[in-house]
Amino acid sequence: MQVKIRKEIIKTELLIIGGGIAGLQAAITAGQEGTSVIVAEKADTRRSGSGANGNDHYMCYIPECHGDDFKRVISEINEGMEGGPWQDQIMLRKMMKRSYGIIQKWESYGIDMRPTGKWVFEGHAMPGRQRYHLKYDGQNQKAVLTQKALENGAQIMNKVFINEVLVNEEGRAVGAIGFSLAEDDSEVIIFQAKAVLLATAQAMRMYPHGNPTFIFNTHSCPAAAGGAAIGYRAGARLVNLDVPYIHAGVKGFARSGKATWIGVLSDIHGKPVGPFLTKPNRETGDAMMDIWPGIFGERLDNGTGPTYMNCTELSEEDLKYQEKAFESEGIDSITEYCEQRGIDLRKSMIEFGTYDYSLAQRGIDINLDGMTTVQGLYAAGICCGNVRGNITNASVWGDVVGEHSSEYVKQVEEFDISEHPLIKEKIDFYMELMTKKIGAHWLEVNSTLQRIMNDYVGLKVRSETLLTAGIKYLADLKRYSVSELKCENSHELMRTLEVLDLIDLAEAVALTAKNRQETRGNHKRVDFTYTNPLLNDKFQTIEKTKDGIKMAFRDKEK
Amino acid sequence: MPPVIDKAKCIKCEICAQICPLDVIRVEKKDQEREIVVKYPYECWHCRACIKECSSNAITMRYPLSHMMFYMDVPTADRSDCKCK
Ligand SMILES: Cc1cc2nc3c(=O)[nH]c(=O)nc-3n(C[C@H](O)[C@H](O)[C@H](O)COP(=O)(O)OP(=O)(O)OC[C@H]3O[C@@H](n4cnc5c(N)ncnc54)[C@H](O)[C@@H]3O)c2cc1C
Ligand code: SF4
Ligand code: SF4
Repeated sequence: MQVKIRKEIIKTELLIIGGGIAGLQAAITAGQEGTSVIVAEKADTRRSGSGANGNDHYMCYIPECHGDDFKRVISEINEGMEGGPWQDQIMLRKMMKRSYGIIQKWESYGIDMRPTGKWVFEGHAMPGRQRYHLKYDGQNQKAVLTQKALENGAQIMNKVFINEVLVNEEGRAVGAIGFSLAEDDSEVIIFQAKAVLLATAQAMRMYPHGNPTFIFNTHSCPAAAGGAAIGYRAGARLVNLDVPYIHAGVKGFARSGKATWIGVLSDIHGKPVGPFLTKPNRETGDAMMDIWPGIFGERLDNGTGPTYMNCTELSEEDLKYQEKAFESEGIDSITEYCEQRGIDLRKSMIEFGTYDYSLAQRGIDINLDGMTTVQGLYAAGICCGNVRGNITNASVWGDVVGEHSSEYVKQVEEFDISEHPLIKEKIDFYMELMTKKIGAHWLEVNSTLQRIMNDYVGLKVRSETLLTAGIKYLADLKRYSVSELKCENSHELMRTLEVLDLIDLAEAVALTAKNRQETRGNHKRVDFTYTNPLLNDKFQTIEKTKDGIKMAFRDKEK
Repeated sequence: MPPVIDKAKCIKCEICAQICPLDVIRVEKKDQEREIVVKYPYECWHCRACIKECSSNAITMRYPLSHMMFYMDVPTADRSDCKCK
């Protein structure tokens, strides 16, 4: 197969990499400000990313519903899934303050934010507490956001994978290198931009998931494959990679959306396992899953499991309600699966499992304007590491970047990237990959990467010796991969570059895990079994500098 | 093979290939003809986006056993209105 090169350099003010929730929101806002915008999306923005087919919970603060005690709001959110020690509190406050504004915008675009006509808050909640997750119907969200971005003048280039951000000698982001997947021959496309936004989501496929031989069986969209590495290579600082984030949901058929299930977590006899619910409750859901997503794995390990989602006591009305919510959430495959295999939730409980580390909301370090440590390079959504909040995170920070970048592009000059040395280097590399006769398939590399990460940089135990070995094996894997990988066509070229992104990020995970000489959360060091109070208010960062890789502990609130 | 395309119903509009977030479905050119091929079945996320976009109802899902859901009947569950009877 060939590598073609598009002669004309594509120029824009703001280049957005990834047309998911964050990317499209940024495109809409920047477009409204009159900024010229291109969205480069490797799939099709109408149905791409983790919000492709819907979402149904939007964490928000609506003063008319939640009252004026904003301090209390923040403190309650900190007790839930999206809060806690890995959330930068200043960023959290800014995000929550802007959340209602986005909800109003989304409603005006045509997304159904109150399917019952009222603001309804359900799920991800504790009994007796105020609830912050607006129950909405997001099944058309990607089509609507795409339409709105187009109306506001954004140009959307689907089936375009971006591999590198170009940075000039002053250290400013000035463009990107990507290629089209539309044909089997890939066509390299060079972008020149005044500002670049990375909105590429998390790094699925770095750790084994539902079923290790089927690596696309992941709880979030497996197309999210380490885009934060593009920022890392461009010099952007990453943060919080070392303390694993874990999620939970249906075992076997990995799928996010656990809060859309409104049954009770139960043991094999159908008896509740947690303290919060004895009967199903639509309003709160079973908070056990948010507070302790490790419950499923731990109960298997100690022999008291398995643990099930028990919907057998739902009323007919609640069952219908849940089924409808699966559509809003984009997880109606679960319903179809159950229908095809004759599983009836009225009498059968579904086993839930703890999923492996996914790097969600562990990644690029951004400031209050959404800018990374590289001038002109922004990041938004779950590829970022110092903000949490999923849809809220993606939409609010996308909006912030849309606004800020529109000001920024007015202040900087265009930079001619035609002679940038990375362009030739990358094209030569793609050509080599595409013309090699014998070589390694990307899946060989991805599966070995997962094995290394599971065994040496895993969730159960970490230690100096395991991590040292892991770092060495990752370096070997990278060296072999760069020289041995080959691809047959543009699709395989994308998968190949994704796996190289995953290795870059995996190295950063392993290095920071080794450097954190304490136990904290899911980072369990057998050689440092205590938690060091001096690190309580710190985030660990890692970045590539001219002098090599630099790691540091920065104050949580900058 | 997760999405199964019924050739008799398919009008080759290519929308499924365009929309698939994982690039599982591709359009292949064979002698002047354009074929819709489920080329990378193992990369399917079973998200049903292709089904939702196919206006000819030509796609059905086969959920592979690699994605088997584990379930257990509750002995005490009231089955009087159970659909499965
Ligand atoms: C089933 C499910 C249910 C969920 N429910 C909820 C919910 O109810 N509430 C909630 O708050 N959150 C929910 N989430 C999480 C939420 O969907 C994500 O947090 C959100 O979509 C993240 O937005 P994002 O813009 O960061 O990433 P995404 O929306 O995933 O978008 C990333 C985009 O970047 C593209 N891309 C990646 N790399 C490249 C590249 N190199 N070049 C070009 N394009 C690239 C991808 O194709 C994708 O379109 C759910 C997730 C799933 C999977
Ligand atoms: S969307 Fe349906 S009709 Fe169109 S090509 Fe695909 S299967 Fe055929
Ligand atoms: S179910 Fe989703 S991932 Fe699978 S082929 Fe259809 S659109 Fe692609």
